[in-house]
Amino acid sequence: MMTYVVFILSVIFVVSFVGFSSKPSPIYGGLVLIVSGAVGCGIVLSFGGSFLGLMVFLIYLGGMLVVFGYTTAMATEQYPEVWVSNKAVLGAFIVGLLSELLAACYILKGDDVEVEVVLKFNGAGDWVIYDTGDSGFFSEEAMGIAALYSYGTWLVIVTGWSLLIGVLVIMEVTRGN
Amino acid sequence: MKPPILTIIMSTVISGTIMVLISSHWLTIWIGFEMNMLAIIPILMKKFNPRAMEASTKYFLTQATASMLLMLGITINLLLTGQWAVLNMPDPIASNMMTVALAMKLGLSPFHFWVPEVTQGIPLSSGMILLTWQKIAPLSILYQISPSTNPNLLMAMATMSVLMGGWGGLNQTQLRKILAYSSIAHMGWMIAVTTYNPTLMLLNLVIYIMMTLGAFMLFMLNSSTTTLSLSHMWNKFPLITSLILTIMLSLGGLPPLSGFIPKWMIIHELTKNNMIIMATFMAITALLNLYFYMRLTYATTLTLFPSMNIMKMKWQFENTKNTTLLPLLIVISTMLLPLSPMMLTLL
Repeated sequence: MMTYVVFILSVIFVVSFVGFSSKPSPIYGGLVLIVSGAVGCGIVLSFGGSFLGLMVFLIYLGGMLVVFGYTTAMATEQYPEVWVSNKAVLGAFIVGLLSELLAACYILKGDDVEVEVVLKFNGAGDWVIYDTGDSGFFSEEAMGIAALYSYGTWLVIVTGWSLLIGVLVIMEVTRGN
Repeated sequence: MKPPILTIIMSTVISGTIMVLISSHWLTIWIGFEMNMLAIIPILMKKFNPRAMEASTKYFLTQATASMLLMLGITINLLLTGQWAVLNMPDPIASNMMTVALAMKLGLSPFHFWVPEVTQGIPLSSGMILLTWQKIAPLSILYQISPSTNPNLLMAMATMSVLMGGWGGLNQTQLRKILAYSSIAHMGWMIAVTTYNPTLMLLNLVIYIMMTLGAFMLFMLNSSTTTLSLSHMWNKFPLITSLILTIMLSLGGLPPLSGFIPKWMIIHELTKNNMIIMATFMAITALLNLYFYMRLTYATTLTLFPSMNIMKMKWQFENTKNTTLLPLLIVISTMLLPLSPMMLTLL
């Protein structure tokens, strides 16, 4: 049952990526971005990364995407482009969907046939259950987060500095005059 | 821009590149590239006209795409080798992807289209930083992965770059676009020798940076961005016109100036490796570059261009502009040829 949940979440993930890659108006792009972000959190959660999934949900979706949505709503036009309103966007969406479908059908040809794209796939099982090895009784995700604050102090400093620079750059760029 | 903000942003540009240079972990290399790109955007947008904003947007889009391609290459390398160290990459997919990403960052053909447009839209000082400092980080990564790159891919990109750099600059009168096409051609020369002797790539980079910095500073003295305004310089700064002659000829690679050193060494290395057709071809296409440098010197130094009489009688003011490092750069760009054995051993 769990593999089907991950499978369905992955399908919605890919379809919403195609949805905003076909370039509708930013409002609709932001909509499917939120959907894909939420569904991505679901996939991370289903692999046992409960802390990271909830962090992305709260901070990324609840903070940054909300701010993005509000600024896009301020800058939007009277008749924003939806996927069905413009033939170019619809065409891109359909082409993206078809290529994803063909790629998936090629890779998941059978349960015993091994297909190599960049890595070797061996049926749908190889894809949905991705195990990178055994770490014993500890949750890998919790170990990773702990390592970020112990071994990865320099990374935290660099990330904090980059975020500060991001804010300064955005304020500098939007100052105008 | 207020001085504290400018200081913080410039220090982030510098520390981003330094992070790329000193990293042994691919993730910090990518972080360094992103820091560098993010912090240079307000420097490109010093003036708030639509042209500069368009140029900054184009720069941001291409560099972000290149960073994403680099991250994809890093991830594939991690998947197939299981480690993050910057060693040689045995897998061709990851290696080719990283090479293409670095080529996009450098402005090599066929990813060169952003270079003239971005350089034209930004002020001269921002263009100076764009064409010199921003080349250091991608070339250092290319130096580190050079044993595992695909020589065919690099040679193809080098051939196209010297062609595009030469032909593209032929019909230009805007100085920033001329220097952009010159940058594309020089990157082509650097990439051609990477598979055979990466030290020569660094030598070419160092000499190219000195010459381009000198050229930009000379143009900034007069705030001239077109050939026409250069042609009025004979009355204002007669000494600068002679210096423009030397720098342009050095950029064109004429002996006995310093610009000849990398070209000579690269052709020597290519012939040692039996790439005679490539060496001949690159030497011939360098003539295209030399043509438009010569046209600039012709208009600036060698002739008194026709102008209105009022332009021939200017007030002769003393120079009050800050010309830090300019004499040093000019001497390095023109007189380094006798020291070429020492430079080869230094790098």
